[in-house]
Amino acid sequence: MTTSTRTLGGLAPATGRASAPVPGPASGAAAGTAPRGGALAALFHATATQAGVAVVVVLALLAALVGTAPFARQPTQGTEILVPAYAAASFVLETLTAALLFAMFHVQRSRALLRLAAGYLFAALMVPAWALTFPGVLSGLGVDAGLQTTAAIAAVRRLGFPLFVLGYALAPVCSDTSPRSLVPILRTVLAVAGLAAVCLWLIVEGRPVLPGFMADDRDVTRLWYRVPAVAILLYGLAAAILVWRRRFALDMWVCLVLVSLTVELALMSWLGGATRLGVGWWAGRLYGLAAASIVLLVLLSETTTVHLRLARAVAAERRARQDRLTAMEALSATIAHEINQPLASMVTNADAGLRWLGKAEPRIDMVDAALRRIVADGHRANKVVVGIRTMFMTGAQEREPLDLGALLRETVRDKASEARAAGIAIDLDLDPALPPVIGNALQLRQVVANLIENAIDAMTATAGRERRLRIAARGAERGEAEVSVADTGGGVPPELAERIFEPFVSTKPEGMGMGLMFCRAVVEAHGGRLWVAPARPRGAVFAFSIPTALVPTNAPEVSR
Amino acid sequence: MTEQSAVFVVDDDHSVRASLESLLSSEGHDVHVFGSAEAFIAAERPDLPGCMVLDVRLRRESGLEVQRELGRRGIDLPVVFITGHGDVPMSVAAMKAGAIEFLLKPFRDQDLLDAVNKGIAIDQSRRERAARMAELRDRFAALTPREREIMPLVAGGLLNKQIAGHLQLSEVTVKVHRAQIMQKLRARSLPDLVRMADRLADDIAKA
Repeated sequence: MTTSTRTLGGLAPATGRASAPVPGPASGAAAGTAPRGGALAALFHATATQAGVAVVVVLALLAALVGTAPFARQPTQGTEILVPAYAAASFVLETLTAALLFAMFHVQRSRALLRLAAGYLFAALMVPAWALTFPGVLSGLGVDAGLQTTAAIAAVRRLGFPLFVLGYALAPVCSDTSPRSLVPILRTVLAVAGLAAVCLWLIVEGRPVLPGFMADDRDVTRLWYRVPAVAILLYGLAAAILVWRRRFALDMWVCLVLVSLTVELALMSWLGGATRLGVGWWAGRLYGLAAASIVLLVLLSETTTVHLRLARAVAAERRARQDRLTAMEALSATIAHEINQPLASMVTNADAGLRWLGKAEPRIDMVDAALRRIVADGHRANKVVVGIRTMFMTGAQEREPLDLGALLRETVRDKASEARAAGIAIDLDLDPALPPVIGNALQLRQVVANLIENAIDAMTATAGRERRLRIAARGAERGEAEVSVADTGGGVPPELAERIFEPFVSTKPEGMGMGLMFCRAVVEAHGGRLWVAPARPRGAVFAFSIPTALVPTNAPEVSR
Repeated sequence: MTEQSAVFVVDDDHSVRASLESLLSSEGHDVHVFGSAEAFIAAERPDLPGCMVLDVRLRRESGLEVQRELGRRGIDLPVVFITGHGDVPMSVAAMKAGAIEFLLKPFRDQDLLDAVNKGIAIDQSRRERAARMAELRDRFAALTPREREIMPLVAGGLLNKQIAGHLQLSEVTVKVHRAQIMQKLRARSLPDLVRMADRLADDIAKA
């Protein structure tokens, strides 16, 4: 490093380094992970394909480095003319990369992306000035910026970029939750442009006091070698932080960029003797350009994927909202139907009663029957309303620890006379060690009452069998309690077993087809499940599980 | 209609069923109630002019589907639809399929009774038409093959002479056949015979 006295004013990203001739700490870290794509993929949360591409690119870079090394010191003639072309390519690549990163930031709101984009933008903005001041490039136009200007610009660019990358590496992982807006992007662009302008202005205005990087148009002084050395140290530091933090797949590509920059600097500053326009000087730049192109392509496909995913998420959200709307529509149609049915029946019964009453010989027996049906219909409509109120009333989401056993005993007591009238024997089998559950007492009681009523109806509908209602509760594993209501009725036909929880589906001749839908909604809102199974030797078992209060961690909010 | 008609109510809601039974029988209808379409199809139905009151939304099937199924089974009863929540496409489909009326629950009792009476009247006249047709078919069956050959020619307005020439018979023979045809079909005049021929032709075309 110190041997060669000649130096070059490299383009911003491309210059030498201070210590070892081969990649410094930066590339060391990245290259160390390179040979094993799988490990690399795991390290950066990247896909195996991405890791494979990265490994191939790193290996190709190293191979190119080795292959070019013997010729690196050969000078070239008349290649100044290529400098603007290289600068243009570099400018376009870096601007595009910055734009893509800004676009990614716009979607993902990660400050890290903003810093990286700023780094690329800064590097890109320094390129034109570097090319314009490059000795011999624009001499035809009479531009003479002075011996040290180009090298100073290159040094600022070389050292500025890794500083931005460091900022990227140190950025917090969490995303900004502020609403999507272009303001932070615009602010960053303006700030970077201002910074670049200030740097250039200082360099141009401070020409007389610029450090002496260049001995002549082509060769550097020893002072220059500090620039690539510091740059490579910064690369290494950034790469080490990236590997250590293991954040996301983009980090792997940034590490790849750091490796390619290290290779570039190695070729230009040490292997190429830091001579401007030599084989090593050019080769290093071209390899860097190629690596940058690959990373740009990767970013491009990443961005496309991100936008695709975003579009898909938006579509999914829209679908979910549609589903919710449809469910609401179905529910309101159900409610309308369930209330309208008894209403219609009441009206017709009343009409019939009036007609029987208005006859020449009024049929009091028929009027009596009609009035009784009206009473039953009124109760039925009320039941629907109560069910809806229980489901939607304020405080329905309030949960507290409950004694499940007491709740079951009370509900059974409420239903006992109804069961006795139907000739049904009730067994209540409660686990003495039943844990308290978390829930809404009113709603759970409604669920149990509903299941008991269903069981009574099912058994009343069948004749000549033993009528036995068995209600059991026990603590299940995984912090749940399980309640089952078994009857000896006709059972649920297998084809209806799952559909029976849908609105309008019922096995009862006069069933509303709403009770079980309500039960399931309540149980699931409690974080539990409700299901039906056949009972032996006949009948059905309806059972539900519900979280117990023994798992207090956020249990009250388990509702889905 | 007391003794001469029957109303069939198919509704899966027992309360609605009972109320309809009461209302219709208060007007003297002979009411038969069913909880499902299968029960209705399986049941023995009196051979009387009738009308059907069908809920659009039955437990496991749509009333519209039941209406089609009845058509397939040749049960040709006028249908009055009742529904808890009808929408326009549903009622259009029902009316297109030949429903008498499409009533939204809760309906005015008179609307239902009017619709049912209309349905019974329609069924009555359909049954009378069918009975007349059956009788005509019987009379037609009594014709000899030669008479069946001659009948359409007579109905077509050909003169006896022309028919004789066409079938290579004597005019007198044709005259005798013609008299036989008029007598067997109990046609009072030539236009009467022409109408009978038309109805028979329609019937054969339908079959």
